[in-house]
Amino acid sequence: MKAKEYVEKVKSREISAVKTTKGILNEIKKINGTYSFFNAISENLALELAERIDKNPKGKLAGLPISIKDDLCVKGVETTCSSNILKGYRPPFNATLVNNLIREGAVIIGKTNQDAFGFGSFNVNTDMGIPKNPVAFCGVSGVSPTYGLVSRYGLIDYANSLDKLGPIAKYVEDLELVLDVIKGYDFKDSTSLKQDIIKEKEVKKVGLIKETLDVDPKIKDIILKKLDEMNVEYEKVLLPKTSKYALPSYYIIAMAEASTNLAKYCGMRYGQEGKVNLPFNESFSEVRTKNFNKEVKRRIILGTFTRMAGYRDAFYLKAMKVRTLVIEEYKDLFKKYDLLVSPTMPIVAPKLSEVNKLKPRDHYMMDVMTVGPNLAGIPHMSVNAGFYDKLPVGIMFTANHLNEKRLFQVGKGL
Amino acid sequence: MKIDRKILQSVASNARLKLSKKEEDELLPQLNEVLEIFSGLNNLKTDGIKPSFQPVEVKNIFREDKVNKCEEDMLQNVKNKEDRYFKGPKAI
Amino acid sequence: MTKIGLEIHLQLNTLSKVFCSCSTKQVETPNSNVCEICCGFPGSKPVLNKEAFEKALKIALALDCKINRVTFFSRKGYFYPDLPKNFQITQYESPIGINGKFRGIRIRRVHLEEDPGALVHKGSYCLVDYNRSGIPLVEIVTEPDFKTAKEAREFLRELITDLSYLDVYDKKSDFGLKADLNISTTGAKVEIKNVNGLKDIEDALTYEEERQSREVPKNSETRGWNAERRITVLQRTKESEDDYGYITETDLPVIEVSDKLLKVIKDSIPELSKEKLTRFTSQYKLSDKDAKVLSNNKRLSELFEKVAKQVDPEIAAKWIIRDLVNQLNYHKKTLDQANIKPEYMIDLLKLFEGKNITDNTTKQVMIKLIKEKNFSPKEYIEKNNLIMQSSNSKIEEWCEQAVKDCPQAVEDYKNGNEKSLNFVVGKVMQLSNKTANPDIVRKILVKLIRK
Repeated sequence: MKAKEYVEKVKSREISAVKTTKGILNEIKKINGTYSFFNAISENLALELAERIDKNPKGKLAGLPISIKDDLCVKGVETTCSSNILKGYRPPFNATLVNNLIREGAVIIGKTNQDAFGFGSFNVNTDMGIPKNPVAFCGVSGVSPTYGLVSRYGLIDYANSLDKLGPIAKYVEDLELVLDVIKGYDFKDSTSLKQDIIKEKEVKKVGLIKETLDVDPKIKDIILKKLDEMNVEYEKVLLPKTSKYALPSYYIIAMAEASTNLAKYCGMRYGQEGKVNLPFNESFSEVRTKNFNKEVKRRIILGTFTRMAGYRDAFYLKAMKVRTLVIEEYKDLFKKYDLLVSPTMPIVAPKLSEVNKLKPRDHYMMDVMTVGPNLAGIPHMSVNAGFYDKLPVGIMFTANHLNEKRLFQVGKGL
Repeated sequence: MKIDRKILQSVASNARLKLSKKEEDELLPQLNEVLEIFSGLNNLKTDGIKPSFQPVEVKNIFREDKVNKCEEDMLQNVKNKEDRYFKGPKAI
Repeated sequence: MTKIGLEIHLQLNTLSKVFCSCSTKQVETPNSNVCEICCGFPGSKPVLNKEAFEKALKIALALDCKINRVTFFSRKGYFYPDLPKNFQITQYESPIGINGKFRGIRIRRVHLEEDPGALVHKGSYCLVDYNRSGIPLVEIVTEPDFKTAKEAREFLRELITDLSYLDVYDKKSDFGLKADLNISTTGAKVEIKNVNGLKDIEDALTYEEERQSREVPKNSETRGWNAERRITVLQRTKESEDDYGYITETDLPVIEVSDKLLKVIKDSIPELSKEKLTRFTSQYKLSDKDAKVLSNNKRLSELFEKVAKQVDPEIAAKWIIRDLVNQLNYHKKTLDQANIKPEYMIDLLKLFEGKNITDNTTKQVMIKLIKEKNFSPKEYIEKNNLIMQSSNSKIEEWCEQAVKDCPQAVEDYKNGNEKSLNFVVGKVMQLSNKTANPDIVRKILVKLIRK
């Protein structure tokens, strides 16, 4: 059932939000022991919200169960970013996005698992957060909107100038519905945009990014087939700077910013507590060394390195300038094309045993398709395009800043 | 550009992380592999290009100088506290 | 040759903090003016206080700086328990102002940043209060242009006076002033970190200048100021510069300073102490000493100028700059506390100027003005018959009585002791309730005694 139909049924009292919520909570409790989809189940909050809706079924998302990724603050609900260092932390405030969802009647059921601090390409979730690769690997849809369209207040920062929040759901219609609720200017996030999404939704001409077709031919075929079905005019286009330089630029900025964001975790104020009977340097080092995982440490070290006095200009500043060129390159293409198309991932979902064999650099390479749009802050959407050996393959559409309507228009037609 | 053991140690200590000899051995080649990808940026000329701090340009965002008291207690998450102070490790 | 440079940190007098809406008021209870932003909780974000930015801009303009028309914030990374995020939001590449000049000293930069929290050291651990965290600080960095500690001290005093004229800094809150002092007498750079308050900064400068003349420093070093023992102590010798790993604070967009804003702020800058000094000496013909007292005290100079419009400036100068200041000191009150209405001062001094009241009455009424509020000198003087008596017949009566009452003093005077006349004059004043015109009293007494 699409979210809109469900919400209408809640409003006409055909469906009880409490009943649905109880059912989902039971289901989660049954399977969570095995799969650990959830870091925290917010049973009390969920039932309270559901009861409120049953009494007074109002709002665009009335009674809709939504899970929140564990990097979004929910007041009083344990929020850890899946990292040991934040264990036990209950934020004293809500993320703006969470407030917006609750205002429109959504029922927050819990915090879903992720790689610690959003690092890493392989995670499983179907919820609200930074949508990346899981979308493609799970065969669901996800939209990452224009940078600043959705307030980041209360999102535990990974990289402030790259982080975007967007929904993940089964249907494109649901993405549009939820984005409509969570978007909008928020004075608490100085980078949030005062402009709204552009009304224009017509898609006349599409550019197929040639460099992204250098993948497994079977993935390429699925993408091309999907494009043919779409019945729009398309041609191959080039993004030479983006395809070569977006990845290093993205990762330098991400790690440099992340290494400063992660400095605050030192065993004081919240989360894991450190020893107070030690000199501060030793106490901080001990907590951080013990509670950050390997990948987090690797990124902190790389990020710290790229902003050190002697290297800062060559890495961090250079990456910020490259970002300007990448944005310009996209903007040039959007003068001619309404949308750009590529696969979402260079491969299909690997097995856990294969993942374990990958080196750090291979992991980062998995993001090669999404780093360009993320670096440029442009909206992109991934939907399922077909299957390869029973594994889902995602197709990704990218639009100019604030052109989300075009993405939804195409997505709904697929 | 390469990270050698000495740089790694100084970066780790700057980031308040302790690494064992074994961890250093494992990290060094990994970091240098990634750094090689990073160094690829040098092939792109950026003379005279302005850096983009955010992907979408926003400027001159202010709030008015008004007081709004926060009702939440910021000490609620810690056991290490004393007389409404946060308790921390030795600072001198 | 001695070279001294200052890095001055001043708390701006805004109502709310620089990046959140918590109050900047000093309160008893630790961690009561705090929120997730000034405590650096994950997910919280800064939003810049407009007033704080404009006050920093005003300072940069008053110090004759070149204004960076595009300015932004950076993260300065270092770990310390008083720093909630383990980085400080400050300005690095693009401070608000650069290359200024104040009182002949070159200003390297003026920038805006957040204050860390306050620490209480408890032996094996520490206690942290983040009420101070996030109070807007302006950092003013001078070039090493001072040749003596004395020069640096005078500069600081003038700077602080002018900043209180600008209404950006509360001079009373001495805790809101911190400085790092760079002093080199031999070439080795010695930095004294984090000295609090004007008095300690001045003493640290004096102490260190003297110390370096005794023990010549060989290496660059960082020292601290021990406020109890009034000495500087070695903290560490410096092998290399600290690496703060500055990056841009991308949660805060850039600020473009428009021509319009620049003009508005420029126009809001009042006359500063140096201009005041020059004007006071030429316009009111004040002595250098009097003009200096006035130019260093905003309230006093305002009072003086209001009074001097209606009363002879010379009279206003005597009574306000000298007598009023003395009496305030004696009664341990500031002009703010006394809060004397200018109209009352004008009334009083007009009466004096018109020879309607005596010196003595003027002084007594002025003291009463310091002590009491809502008290009209004019009404008081009239009600209590304090108008100066110049009628000869009335004064003659008092004089005759006084001569009778003080035979010994009269005798002494007759025998050549000039001073003993004062005693008799005093008696007359007493009899007249201090209203007799003393000049006339003298003349009549002399005539009476010599008869």
